[in-house]
Amino acid sequence: MSFRHLWAVIRKELLHILRDRGTFLLVLVTPTLVLLLMTYSLAIEIQHVPIALLDYDQSPTSREFMHQITAGDDLDLYENAASMEQIEDLLIKGKIKAAIIIGPKFSKDLLAMRGLSLQIIIDGTEPETGGFAVDHIGWRAESFANDILADQILTSGISLDSLEPIDLRIRSWYNPSLEPRIDIVPGLLSIVLGFPAFSVALTLAREHEHSTMEQLLATPISRIELLLGKMIPYILAGLVNVIVIPIIAIAWFDVPFNGNFLEFLLLSAIFLFAELSMGMVIGVFMKSQSAALALSFLVVLFPGFFLTGIFFPTAALPEMARMESMFLPGTHYAIITRGVFLTGIGMDTLWPYAIMLVILGAAFTGTAALFFKKKLA
Amino acid sequence: MTDKEFIKITDLTRKFKENIALDSINLTIQEGELFGLVGPDGAGKTTLLRTLAGLLGISSGEVREAGCDLRKNSEAVKSKIGYMAQEFSLYGKLSVLENLQFFGEMYDVPPALQKERIPGLLAFAQLMDFTDRRAAKLSGGMKKKLALACTLLHQPPILLLDEPTTGVDPVSRRAFWNILNDLHLGGTTIIVSTPYMDEADRCSQVGLIYQGKIVECDSPENIRQKIEGEFIKIVTHDWQKAREIIQPLTGVLEVQSYGEALHILVDSSTKRLGQIQKTLQKNNLEIMEIRMIKPRMEEAFISLIRKIGQTN
Repeated sequence: MSFRHLWAVIRKELLHILRDRGTFLLVLVTPTLVLLLMTYSLAIEIQHVPIALLDYDQSPTSREFMHQITAGDDLDLYENAASMEQIEDLLIKGKIKAAIIIGPKFSKDLLAMRGLSLQIIIDGTEPETGGFAVDHIGWRAESFANDILADQILTSGISLDSLEPIDLRIRSWYNPSLEPRIDIVPGLLSIVLGFPAFSVALTLAREHEHSTMEQLLATPISRIELLLGKMIPYILAGLVNVIVIPIIAIAWFDVPFNGNFLEFLLLSAIFLFAELSMGMVIGVFMKSQSAALALSFLVVLFPGFFLTGIFFPTAALPEMARMESMFLPGTHYAIITRGVFLTGIGMDTLWPYAIMLVILGAAFTGTAALFFKKKLA
Repeated sequence: MTDKEFIKITDLTRKFKENIALDSINLTIQEGELFGLVGPDGAGKTTLLRTLAGLLGISSGEVREAGCDLRKNSEAVKSKIGYMAQEFSLYGKLSVLENLQFFGEMYDVPPALQKERIPGLLAFAQLMDFTDRRAAKLSGGMKKKLALACTLLHQPPILLLDEPTTGVDPVSRRAFWNILNDLHLGGTTIIVSTPYMDEADRCSQVGLIYQGKIVECDSPENIRQKIEGEFIKIVTHDWQKAREIIQPLTGVLEVQSYGEALHILVDSSTKRLGQIQKTLQKNNLEIMEIRMIKPRMEEAFISLIRKIGQTN
């Protein structure tokens, strides 16, 4: 291996990344842009859903209930309606997304421990928002009723401890409030870092299209010098993203970063090696940029969404798909990013995934080198 | 002492699937030769040059080049060759100087030697004032000269040039050939393919390739002399009609058209000149010019190809 050959190719390719607008955007801008776009579109939290209230009970209990329902940011009281007609009107006009009708026997039934008489009407044209409202009203109503019941039991002199032999409390670790945003940003990193892999796939095809490949193959450069020289610049460009994106995640999305940043850089470099090797295999087989791009979408991007466990847990995948997901560098990197960002674990725990990535990278690069011939046909 | 069998091709055949691109070619090129490879489009010029550059596998036969067996190890020969592809194949985003340096590195030219040679190459490619210009922004002729300069940095003993002057203006073409001539005088073995017959005339040896076969290989003078007969040039106001009339006449072997002019190959010009003139006048065709001409490579080439076509 000649380091002069290697460095000459790296230098040429770096100059290309900096000077070719398309490549520059794809490698250095697109990952951040796509991350922002996807985070905003996927991690939306529904807030301030306007609701109306029709209180037939008009008791202190019902007023207290209503107060509790609208105590959070999730549901806003738009109107204290006087009749069903008014509620219908508000729903049709889209002023409210849901309405709560408190029956006349609400407080009596509740205090007599006969349950809650409550009706919820939602705007079915927006099922997402309606479902959200039903869930949130339900949770609030349940906890309200439980508090009332506990009060009742206490006043009748029964100890609460004896009533609750099982105390099941669900606590989610590392993301205590279960905010989707936090979980999604580190996961998305493994998808958006696929874009440098696109570029690697394109870079070989580009040389074929511009017939620079013919000139390059006529020189004494070796296959591995050429392939590594093509890959390393894009690993470096990918690492720029690995530095920029966590800064955005931390500063903009309040994602915690509990791990060691240097370890994270190292693990990311290993991931990029594996991911970009995959791009290299595509580049070796596809002689045109359009074909290389299409295959990159199929092999890098889509499996990244569906198989790496970012949106759908890998445990839920059919066995074949689960096996396939093990061959995707993104699957292992998603575990690494979540671990480093949220849990704060490092190399001492994540080393098996790092080893898996090294194996995948070596296998992909080996395949690329094996099938890359220094011949035109 | 020059190597008489510097490049020796024996029974070289190259197939692309069913298509035979090179058909058992035998060719020996001496060291220091300026070898012109001529032939119509699709004859196999590019395939042969790519094979010599080690860019294509060999289906059967043998190629020995500068002491290397291409069949066994096509990589060993690459450092001894300067290859210039037919299409522009440099990096458009890199400057003139960066392209030169890149190929200098590829061919392991030490940095000190690069520094020493690059000014000379820039001067002779007339690119001194454009060192920082991106290669994509150069004119067609400049691109070709830069491409040639890139193949010369490592001073290869063998130069393979695939139609280096196609699409280049006549002045640049002449300049380019002067460069080739200098290299030839300096002892470099050059194989150049060209569609231009006047360029073939400037070579020391010419190989005619047709349908994947080398059909003729000799010096330009000898090839010209292989034409049996003499040429008469006629310009009339209706060359198509004149052609129809002349073609069936006795003693006329061949009629080639060059724009308005017809070049007629006859068994003896002294015998046929008057005869043709009379026949044309009888048909009311005005003769603007009629005279004997010496055959050029072009006539020789077309005549040879036609002969092969007839025997097949």
